[in-house]
Amino acid sequence: MSGSDLWPNAIRFAGLTVLQVLLLRQVGLSIGPYFNLLVYPLFILLLPIATPTALTVMLGFLIGLTIDVFYGTLGLHAGAGAFSGFIRTYLFFVFEPKGGYSGKEPTAIPHFFDWRWFTGLLAVFLLLHCLWYFSMDAFTFVYIGTITLKTISAWALSMPFALLLVFLFNPKR
Amino acid sequence: MNNLLQLFIRNGGFITFFILEVLSIYLLVGNNQRQGEIYAHSYGLFAGKVLNWQSGMREYFHLREEVEALRAENADLRTQNINARLVEVPYRDTFFHVLYDTLTGQQGLHRRLVRPAYEFVPATVIGNSISLNNNWLMINRGTADSITANMGVMSDNGVVGIVRHTDAHLSSVMSVLHRQTRISCAVKNKSAIGSLVWEDNHPRYMTLKDVPRHVEVAEGDTILTSGYSSLFPGGLLVGFVEGNPKTDRENQYFYTIRVRLTQDPADVHHVYVVRNLFRTTIDSLEKLTYERQ
Repeated sequence: MSGSDLWPNAIRFAGLTVLQVLLLRQVGLSIGPYFNLLVYPLFILLLPIATPTALTVMLGFLIGLTIDVFYGTLGLHAGAGAFSGFIRTYLFFVFEPKGGYSGKEPTAIPHFFDWRWFTGLLAVFLLLHCLWYFSMDAFTFVYIGTITLKTISAWALSMPFALLLVFLFNPKR
Repeated sequence: MNNLLQLFIRNGGFITFFILEVLSIYLLVGNNQRQGEIYAHSYGLFAGKVLNWQSGMREYFHLREEVEALRAENADLRTQNINARLVEVPYRDTFFHVLYDTLTGQQGLHRRLVRPAYEFVPATVIGNSISLNNNWLMINRGTADSITANMGVMSDNGVVGIVRHTDAHLSSVMSVLHRQTRISCAVKNKSAIGSLVWEDNHPRYMTLKDVPRHVEVAEGDTILTSGYSSLFPGGLLVGFVEGNPKTDRENQYFYTIRVRLTQDPADVHHVYVVRNLFRTTIDSLEKLTYERQ
């Protein structure tokens, strides 16, 4: 991650945190336990592709911890964030386009790739994030049914919202 | 250190992930009520299992001491038990005619004097043979435990042998499977006694001789020690009659009875040495008897 990557990512960190904490948390609280919108994982996904896994794990943990402070669930989002930072590397490997990644696409955004590719990547990424998050939330696999239900509902709600965000801001870096 | 660094470079992602995940679970459990309760519950179950396992292991390692203690206690109980069945001597006081009981300590007309006559010393068999013509055992008790020659050795299941030679901490025991063995035995509930000897080479069977033929002995009858020698107290289980008793070829008025031992001589581990507290008296009396003959 070079210096030029710092600002866009710092802004995404701050913006997504504020959005998540101030808006989406309140929406989720007022509607119900199955209405969860999780968009902060976008920050983890949109870190430069070449970022070392150790760093993405730490940054994922950091944004999760920041959100946890406001959610009052210390450790919950942090664990899910660290997990997302970890699996990101493997997802890039699975979703590797023909000819591999070149230095011309520093970030996994539709600006460099296409929407189809990005939607697929985001779908799997968010699903895994939600699954880990709700597993840690339940903290036991006794409630596997509830975990699945919450994961699917949160994923189905967050996906369009995250895509909308990317579409609206359409980041270039 | 260099290797460690290499390891981190290669697996840094996973190591970071693992550490942070552990940290987040730690935070989660410590700061959130529900997860904390689930954790405490699961930990309780797990810790219970581990503690159970641990105490099982500890018991296993202390088994030896436990066995020693139990056997010492067993020997004590046997001593009490066998002595309780023993001689009741009316005790005449100067003024009263009282029967005295030292066991129960009760006073009254039915008090009895119980004269302790036997003591049991627990021992472990450390050497054994069964295939020779004359077989021997070695036990881990000797003169230091007040064991001398010509003491009976028994186990929980029956007779084992007779002490022959003693060292400070070891004794060699003449097994019942020895040509010189002669143990005074009785047939239970029949007033017949005989001598138990080892004639055929089978390591589980002995022969009871000198039982007169007018006594009806049948297959399955119980053979006990008679208590007429100073080696064993009376009434100890020795074996069961195997097959129909045959007439002794050497003396047609007597039986030769095949006895299946209850204590397999091939499988003895824990034994008791029988100390007869009146042995010197009995021996000197016997000696006198033979001299006057």
